[in-house]
Amino acid sequence: MEEDWAISFNHVYKNYPLFHQKTLKEFFQALFTRKKTIERIDALKDINLKIKKGETVGVIGKNGAGKSTLLKLIAQVSSPTAGKVRVKGRISPLIELGAGFHPELSGKENIFLNGVILGMKEKYLVEKFSEIVAFSEIPMDFIYTPVKYYSSGMFMRLAFSVAIFSRPEILLVDEILAVGDIGFQKKCLAKMEEFKKKKVTIIFVSHSLELVKKFCQRVIYLQGGRVEYDGKAEEAIGRYLQNLRITLS
Amino acid sequence: MLNYWPLIKKLTLREIKARYKQSFLGFFWIILNPFFQMIIMSFVFSKILRFGNFGVPYPLFIYAGLLPWTFMVASLQSSMGVFVSDASLIKKIYFPREVLVIATLLAKTFDFFLASIIFLLLMIFYQVPFTGFMIIFFLIFLIQFIFTYGLSLLLSALNLFYRDIQYLVNLIITLWFYLTPVVYAVEFFPARYRIIFQLNPMSVLINAYRQVLLGGNWPNWQSLAIAALVSILIFIFCHRIFKKLERLFADIV
Repeated sequence: MEEDWAISFNHVYKNYPLFHQKTLKEFFQALFTRKKTIERIDALKDINLKIKKGETVGVIGKNGAGKSTLLKLIAQVSSPTAGKVRVKGRISPLIELGAGFHPELSGKENIFLNGVILGMKEKYLVEKFSEIVAFSEIPMDFIYTPVKYYSSGMFMRLAFSVAIFSRPEILLVDEILAVGDIGFQKKCLAKMEEFKKKKVTIIFVSHSLELVKKFCQRVIYLQGGRVEYDGKAEEAIGRYLQNLRITLS
Repeated sequence: MLNYWPLIKKLTLREIKARYKQSFLGFFWIILNPFFQMIIMSFVFSKILRFGNFGVPYPLFIYAGLLPWTFMVASLQSSMGVFVSDASLIKKIYFPREVLVIATLLAKTFDFFLASIIFLLLMIFYQVPFTGFMIIFFLIFLIQFIFTYGLSLLLSALNLFYRDIQYLVNLIITLWFYLTPVVYAVEFFPARYRIIFQLNPMSVLINAYRQVLLGGNWPNWQSLAIAALVSILIFIFCHRIFKKLERLFADIV
């Protein structure tokens, strides 16, 4: 079935230019010492993926393996150096929550601001406002104070709650469930299960292998910018752990 | 772009609200800032340097130049910082990046009109007659907006790659100020030097503002048409470059 996929990567490469000398002074020094000035860093090499609509896919790998670059490409904020990335559906990123939050604005103002940034209609936000606040467990009298006075837990809970209500078709989750106390974490996981049932495509990046195993049937293990393994969760995690042990010993 | 209007609206409001939330005098700063500049300049140029006859009270003359000038400078300076300060947004969520620049300019437009209240009061105070020519003010502002928007697009994008741009621009703005008739009149210069002012869109625009607001007259249509054409060309050119560079923003910010 051609129609079935939500995300497709076709021979995707991504490299970043790395400027060794950012300033004029360093540049001249490099001229004399004949150092390299620009190097290209390969973040992703020859990635081929098809992710089906409604699938929940975990992504694991060490720091610098290319996980965040993969998410950036899916979110369409970055374009591949070579190859083709295609995405069908409304994307909601749950990466680095609170992007676009303004510390001086109140919780309420930030809910509306962030909601619109995530593509929600103002009318819908007005309707859902009390639900969003209720989900975030932030006391109503706090909603009118600037978010800079919030504890970091409260801040994250608010950001997560807004994103949850954005009715995503594709949800990008980057290491955010480490946020908040156990109670809130449970609530978030329950919400994610609900999304799964609603056939939302979920890309789940995490260092918590426990969560990945519990949550995803399919796991992609990235190693040095390549897909090392793509398939069953246990197998992917097993290989990852084995590889970690080899590097440690 | 119309699809993104709700986003533009929210980001503009964020700009306007957030900036003055922390300050006690709030919106009065927007009004007071150019007002005190005007008072200082009036004192220096009409009392100490004793510039000649402007045909209108000097405070009004200066204000008509200072407000559009401030709008342009404030717009350029804020747009250069906008992608740097909203880096977290750029890295995570896709939307046309010029949305952030438009929101910045709209917030500055709000400031511009708010600060114009004093100008209106001064007009009443000095009993300058209100005429039908003043309608053209909006046309002139539209041209200025397009001109400023074009430059803001280019500079905001370049500044992401090299932060030197903002220092360079600040230097150029200082020089530009002296080549623009904000505190003086073009007529102070011998006719053979006035070509400089014809090439400077800000100069043409400020002259046009003064003509329609204070002179009670039509603007110089020929100069204004050239300024409009130049502004549109600058906008098209800068927009193209912006769209080319936009794809790289998330990688380098």
